Formats: sequence, C-alpha cells, structure tokens
Amino acid sequence: MADSKTKVSIKTSAPKSSSAQRASKGASSSTAMRLLNVEAMYGSFRAVNDVTLDIEAKSVTAFIGPSGCGKTTLLRTLNRMHETLPGATVKGSIQVGGTDLYDPSVDPVRVRRSIGMVFQKPNPFPAMSIAQNVSSGLRLSGTKSKRDVAEIVEESLRKAALWDEVKDKLNEPGVSLSGGQQQRLCIARTIAVEPEIVLMDEPCSALDPLATLKIEELIGELKTRFTIVIVTHNMQQAARVSDTTAFFNMGADRGGYLVETGPTNKIFTNPSNKLTEDYIAGRFG
Amino acid sequence: MTVAPGTQTEQRFALSDSDRRRMRTNRIMLRIIQVATFVAVLPVFLILIAILAKGLGTLDLAFLVNNPLDEQVGIANAIKGSLAMTGIALLISAPIGIAAAIFLNEYASTAVQRIGDTLVDILLGVPSIVAGLFIFLLVVPALGYNGYAGALALSVLMTPVVIRTTQEVLRLVPAGLREASLALGVPMWRTTIFVTCRTALSGILTGLVLALSRGIGETAPLLLTAQGSNDSVIDLGAPLSSMTIVIYNNTISSDPVKFAQAWTCALVLFAIALTLNVLIRFKTINSRVL
Repeated sequence: MADSKTKVSIKTSAPKSSSAQRASKGASSSTAMRLLNVEAMYGSFRAVNDVTLDIEAKSVTAFIGPSGCGKTTLLRTLNRMHETLPGATVKGSIQVGGTDLYDPSVDPVRVRRSIGMVFQKPNPFPAMSIAQNVSSGLRLSGTKSKRDVAEIVEESLRKAALWDEVKDKLNEPGVSLSGGQQQRLCIARTIAVEPEIVLMDEPCSALDPLATLKIEELIGELKTRFTIVIVTHNMQQAARVSDTTAFFNMGADRGGYLVETGPTNKIFTNPSNKLTEDYIAGRFG
Repeated sequence: MTVAPGTQTEQRFALSDSDRRRMRTNRIMLRIIQVATFVAVLPVFLILIAILAKGLGTLDLAFLVNNPLDEQVGIANAIKGSLAMTGIALLISAPIGIAAAIFLNEYASTAVQRIGDTLVDILLGVPSIVAGLFIFLLVVPALGYNGYAGALALSVLMTPVVIRTTQEVLRLVPAGLREASLALGVPMWRTTIFVTCRTALSGILTGLVLALSRGIGETAPLLLTAQGSNDSVIDLGAPLSSMTIVIYNNTISSDPVKFAQAWTCALVLFAIALTLNVLIRFKTINSRVL
C-alpha cells in the first residue's frame, strides 16, 4: 500500500492528498464536506431546496427519505454529476477542504477524481476485462505504467473484498460476474483512483440479500479510508451501515428538503421531528 | 360454485361460435403473413439463381484479371475502379459521418439534435441520381469526368448512412456507462472515445461496411461523374470504370457477348456485396459488446 502513495500525484490540485488522510486513520470528527444552501434544479423545477449540511470525514452518512425527495439528486450535486444532465443546474456552495466545488475556477473533472461515485445499477464497462475495469479510471485519465496498474488492480480488488473471487480470471469480461460481484467491481474501480469521498447511490437496490450483506460489510471497512455518503431506500440498511443519517422529505412544491440530520442512533430512536418519527415507523413513504 | 367441477369446466371452456371464428381468422391471417414473408425473401433466391445461371458460364480468371481492350475481354479495370472509388468515398464518409454522429448524439442540445436528425433523414432520402447530378454540376464542367468526382458522389450517399448507423449504436450504449466514466474523473472527450465509442465499436464498423455495400452498388451517380472507361490504367483524375457501369453499358448493348458479360459482372458484384454482408454478421456475432 505504501507504493500506491506515489500514484496520488495524478490529482495534484486536490486540496487534501489521500496519503495525508491515511496517516490519520483513526476516527476523526473533522468535516469532509460542507453543504451551504444547496439547491438543485432540473430546468425550472427545483428538486432540492436549500440544504445545509456537514458531512463528517471517515464515516458513513446516509441520505434517507421517501421516493422523489431529491436525495439522489443531492448526492449527484456532491461530485458535480448533476450538471451532466441537460438543463440541470446547482445553486449554493459545497465546500471540500475550504474550496467551493462550484467555484468557476474548479474543474468538474478534478472534482470527480477525488469524489467518486457508485451507482444504483452495477455498470462495469462491457468492452473491458475485470482488471481493465478496475484500472479504467487510471488508464482513461492518463496513468500508463504497467507495473503500477497491476498493483493497483490487486490492491483495489482486495479493498473491495473481491480479489479472492476473481484473482484467477482477471482477464475475463467484467460483465461476466454476478450482480453483487459487478457492484463490488464498480466499487473497486471507484476506489482505484483513490478518491477522498465515495458517493453511493442505492448501491444494493439491484442486489439480492446476500450480495447486499457483502456490500454493507464492505462499506464498514471502507469508511476507515474514505468518507462515504450513501443514498438508500432501505431504512434498516441506513441503520446498519451509517454513523450519521440525514432525512429528506418532499415538500408541497414537490421539491425535496432536509428535515433533520443527526447521529443514526438518535434519528432512529429519538428523532426530534415528528415527520422523521413517522417515516422511520413506516407511517408514510 | 355449487355445480360439480366437471360440468363447470365444460361450460366455461367449451368453444363457442365466436371462438371458432376467431381461431379460423387467426389461421388465415397467419397463413397470409407467412406467404408475404416468403414473397419478400423470394427475390434473394431468384436473383441468385439468375446470376449464377447466366453469369457463371463466362466467369473465368481471365475475365477478372484482363481489361476491356485485351484480346480476351475482362473487367479488372472496373473492379479496381469500383474498389478505388468506394474506398475513397469511405475514407471521406467514415471520419465525417462518425464525427457528426458523435456530435449529434453526445454533445448537441436537443434542439440541434432534432434539426440534425431531420437533415440526415433528408440526405438519406436523396435519390442517388440527384446526388450524382449535383457532383456532376459541381465538378464535371471544370475538370471533366473523373474518378474523384465518382468517389465524391458516392460519399454524398454514404455519409448519411454512416451517421445514422453510428447514431443508432451510440444510442444503445447505456447512459450508465458514460456516467460511470465521468464519475471516475475521466474527461468528457476521453469518455466519448474510450468508453462510448469503444463500447459501440463493432456496431460502428458494421455501419461502415453497410455504407460500403451501399456505395459499391451505385450506378447512376457514377455514370454522371466517372462516366466509365475502357482504359486499363487506373487514374482517378480521368474517366474511370466501375462494375456497375459495365453492367449498365453491356446490358443496353445489342451484342449478345457483351450482354452475357453484364451477367458475369453482376455475379462478381453480388459476390463482393454478399461477402461484405457476411463479414458484418460474423463480426457482430463474435462481439460481446453492441
């Protein structure tokens, strides 16, 4: 793992290097990301209203709430993926290490390099082998050295708890794996570029319970190295994997807003808002 | 519900007159669409039989390697002319067509995309003789009939085919793959080339072969631009022959020998077009991506 520190140089302009993060491995209560009055629009429709929220480093933050409450949209604003959709815009500011991700001088490509994303549906590249999928982020953005790549592939697959299952078939197509394995492959691909923050958009919703369990265990391990934000429909999952929970709801204007946020324990046992209590109790949503 | 199960089944599932009518209509309609399908594919066999029967007799090596003015007449210059003009047309159409498809599908706004799609539709519908006439007016008065003009006329017809087929396969690339790549911090242009186009590669190549087989079968635009020639030297700057021109000229000739040669030339052309199509199939079947 020590060798991999040298490779961090690909993200030269990232404010915090992940080797520095790794040095402070213990749970710290520092803020990885600060959302200030974030609003997300689709054309003239405001899907997310005025969200102000701190996301703690090296921990798991879960976004929960009923369908249509804007949690996925908000997640996609965190690495500037929202704006890739036609007509989609973002207002407010999202600060990482003192830099506003939406500052005009910030390159969204650089943002996405240090804030990775795992999607709802496993989406390995069909034209690439398992190994190529893992190294795709590095190769496609320009890192070439063969030896390094092989090492990163193994290291990332180990971190994604997939190595033992695929080590003998690294050259087989990524899409030949099962759904759960594909999702862990996508996680390996994401962490191979050594992001600081990993966003997960309902990563288990397309998976069976056993595969879900594996991903949940993996999330528990990953949070020692990465800051994780996960959107989930599954409240039990949020309760199991997250340290902090943010509950969103859909307002009268159909735009989503943040109802409350707090330690997962508190949200699930003693929420301060009646809406949260009702949602947790399954009375709506 | 108090009726015995047996009798109830008879009552509920026994065929009524309307059921019988429906089933009879069903049989008749099924037979009609079967016959229609048979009629539609019949020409494949008829054409094959006709050109084999009429063309195979005079097909020999000399016919393929000799030229029109040789003692034993051949179509080597026409084969070379066809391949040269279609090849150059593809060299023009492939980069322009693929680039345009990428722009329309991956970068253009919805409004621009709609306009572009309409224009491509119009181009696809341009009668080939009109495309030939257009290049004829543009080139021939100044430079005379020549092979380059023929290639240009073919590229006018082939470019929209490349655009449309490329667009179709780019559309089949799941949006999730582009998003996955962008979310890895891969720039848009690299995502387009190494993920989107890479995933669609075999489909794009299929489109190129499709355009090639469209171009190699064109006659009218070449008559108006390349004119045809008996010269054995392949000079794209001068009038040039093609297999289709030979077929046309020999068919309207009253000489029975020439008429027979038209069939043999048609056989060669058909074989080349068929080979291209088989190549597409082979390529598509052996590919795990699109």
